Amino acid sequence: MKQHIANHIYHVEILPPKQDSEKLDADLQTFAEKYQRVLDSDYCICLTDNAMGHLSFQGTEMIQELGLPVKPEQVMIHLNTFHTKANLDEILHACIEKGIRDLLVVTGDGSDRLPKLHPADIGAAGVESVTSVELLRYIGQAHPGAFNLGVAFNPYEPEEHEFTKLDRKIAAGAMFIITQPVIARNAVVDKLLATCPLPVALEAWMSKKLHLLSQAVGYEIPENTVFDPIETLRLLHRTYPQCGMYLSLLGFKTQYHLLTDTWVS
Amino acid sequence: MRLNTADERETFQHVWVVAEVLSGRVQSVTHELIGAARALADLRRCDVWVIVLGSGLAGQTDSLIACGCDTVVVVDDPALATFNDEAAARTLVQLIAKYRPEIVLCGATTCGRALIPRVAVLAECGLTADCTGLAIDPDNGDLLQTRPAFGGNILATIRSSHHRPQLATVRPRVMKALDPDPRRLGRVIREPLTPDPSDALKRVIEVFHSTETAVNLGDARFIIAGGRGLKGAAGFDLLRQLATRVGGAVGASRAAVDAGWIPYAYQVGQTGQTVQSTVYMACGISGQIQHLVGMQSCDLIIALDKDCDTPMMQIADIAIVGDLFEIVPELIRQIPEP
Amino acid sequence: MRIVVCIKQVPATHDASIDPETKRIVREGVKAILNPFDTYAVEEGVLLRERLGGEVVVLSMGPPKAEAVLREAVSQGADRAVLLSHRAFGGSDTWATSYALACAIRTLGGADLVICGKQAVDGDTAQVGPGIAAHLGWPQATHVMQIRSANPGSIVAVRMHEDGYDVCELSLPVVITVVKDINQPRIPTLRSSLASRKINIPVWTPDMIAADTARIGLDGSPTRVVKTEPPPPRQNASCRIEGPPAVCAAALVRELRIRNLV
Repeated sequence: MKQHIANHIYHVEILPPKQDSEKLDADLQTFAEKYQRVLDSDYCICLTDNAMGHLSFQGTEMIQELGLPVKPEQVMIHLNTFHTKANLDEILHACIEKGIRDLLVVTGDGSDRLPKLHPADIGAAGVESVTSVELLRYIGQAHPGAFNLGVAFNPYEPEEHEFTKLDRKIAAGAMFIITQPVIARNAVVDKLLATCPLPVALEAWMSKKLHLLSQAVGYEIPENTVFDPIETLRLLHRTYPQCGMYLSLLGFKTQYHLLTDTWVS
Repeated sequence: MRLNTADERETFQHVWVVAEVLSGRVQSVTHELIGAARALADLRRCDVWVIVLGSGLAGQTDSLIACGCDTVVVVDDPALATFNDEAAARTLVQLIAKYRPEIVLCGATTCGRALIPRVAVLAECGLTADCTGLAIDPDNGDLLQTRPAFGGNILATIRSSHHRPQLATVRPRVMKALDPDPRRLGRVIREPLTPDPSDALKRVIEVFHSTETAVNLGDARFIIAGGRGLKGAAGFDLLRQLATRVGGAVGASRAAVDAGWIPYAYQVGQTGQTVQSTVYMACGISGQIQHLVGMQSCDLIIALDKDCDTPMMQIADIAIVGDLFEIVPELIRQIPEP
Repeated sequence: MRIVVCIKQVPATHDASIDPETKRIVREGVKAILNPFDTYAVEEGVLLRERLGGEVVVLSMGPPKAEAVLREAVSQGADRAVLLSHRAFGGSDTWATSYALACAIRTLGGADLVICGKQAVDGDTAQVGPGIAAHLGWPQATHVMQIRSANPGSIVAVRMHEDGYDVCELSLPVVITVVKDINQPRIPTLRSSLASRKINIPVWTPDMIAADTARIGLDGSPTRVVKTEPPPPRQNASCRIEGPPAVCAAALVRELRIRNLV
């Protein structure tokens, strides 16, 4: 992550197609195109893991089946706790095999269709339920030194609670942090940067869909707020020059080309 | 069977209740259904019969007669000691053919739901499951069966105009038993179980009774359920403490179960348990329709959430807007231990 | 071994919301999904085939678009699929549905085991599984939470009851209905999903399954829905409690005391 920040490399989030897609072939094509474009721009592709509990195809599976090229510094995989142990190990082995080193380890969102890791599966004693903390620890023990492990940080959750959680994540092996969407200077983010030595990327919300953003940040952003994602991104760069940027919901047709001159320091 | 003439309809008479028998004991749902059957029979000017299939059933018939039944048919056979769908269905079909009831009611329990659909096919008659209402059409005497459909969004009324008998299952705690009157008189008919070679195709080899493994929220008077708002398994510890205070049980929404915070046995909702408790207190549950379907008939619904606009907060009788992590401990403090 | 799994496409109701005025659930134009209990039925069939060999055939009765759930079942591991679809099947109640499915199973050349999900979440009757068993004249086991053992001639199944469980040994052929958590349904791979989109799913009509037309569709249904209406509104006037935690708690305790609940 430090390298990405130093070299002004954007993290671009791409969601693999949902399993119930009615136009799977078209979705696969679009995915491959987006993937290739991010790779060619020397940015970093970030593939989500059943985002919001919607059953989707797995990142490593997509790369494998579509024969997509992997440049180690340019692919990051999300990994959550909603897998069977067998499937989790499969994904980790696939990453190692392909040279993918960056993992964003999160608890994730489940659904009645998704399995869930049990504490006993990954040697976690004394917990009722597996979170990102236990998953981090497992990955670090099962494959020491193989991965750069990132974790999420939510500046909109109760502060003390969130910082305590972060401490536990760091104790379990976290090496970098990605935050929930930030749209302006944020006091909790300031505190994070002041107190935590790990490299941080801020999520930049690139869509104009404010009600979804409201859900993500946990407070109501008025509908009539004029929200220009590109201007907000520039603001974030100015306000937080020491941070990387994680772009979610990036419009590949309408916004991608504008990224060439946004990251100025 | 299908009615071929209008006169044939008149040849079917009396309202039957198939007793729910577990471990040789008649269960209370039977008495509740006798209450419902009595009301129907009075309208149809006929009798209530109860059919008891089981083994070692001595002494169980008196309470049935006291609660409103006129005739008890007992089939007492060791083959029926354990739940034997095929033999029980075959026997009921034979009894139906012999005595021709107009209406047959049964509890919508795991046994009832296994047995009665089989009877309906073999006897070629209509079955409506999980009825919440039973009435008689004043014009033609048909049984009008009301049940929720499409996730509880709709109440459907169903009838079987051209087939007899009319079968219906009803969940426990929906109908009310009558107060027993020990002076009531009735008769008992004993019928044998006719063996059949097909009985050898199924054999119960082990029976395990446990109130521990089966989390039966159906009997709980006060349910405190937790959802996504609990944010983790630890939240359920708080609910458990509160449940102890009020003498209640803990339940959960699908979100909490899917997140692995509490086992599936505690799930309330469409794919979990349906409950009709006196109080249902939903903590941090938004109230997705699959959950509401499982608890919307509870007498008093209390919702506790930070967000005042969730579906659960809207249908709740008492909506508390606040942080459950602060309010639940306060409740525990303010309600004395039982 | 031939294992037939009967599945159903049902409306997904996650997107429904509450009308704030009537306090009733509003059912928007909802998506169609595979009945949640059926995913477990398909998985159990696939697991048995992996143990004992043979084939898993998934069968559904529904409109043409129901083919989507059959493909989903194939992506989960079923070998082939058949759709029963024709106007004449329309309006079937559970009697007529289980009759048609039984005819289709005979037309397949029979089966060793028929597996159904416990119930469909739209109709919620849990009647079709036992109905199929009755039409075929086979023994049945419902609410199965585990298949302890299986061999070509028999299975040992654990049935869930309100007060515990029992274990029964059944000679095949038999019909079973399964509950949630009997297994962990596998997640289809991209490869199996793509393959499932290419297979041919035959559509069978009443004459192809030798179905008596008097016993299918509306005519074959002993029950008829004569009226639908919204449920009666909840009787209680709603009350809202807000304020500091101690105040909220006190107010709730007061409400509970008034009603003799604590």
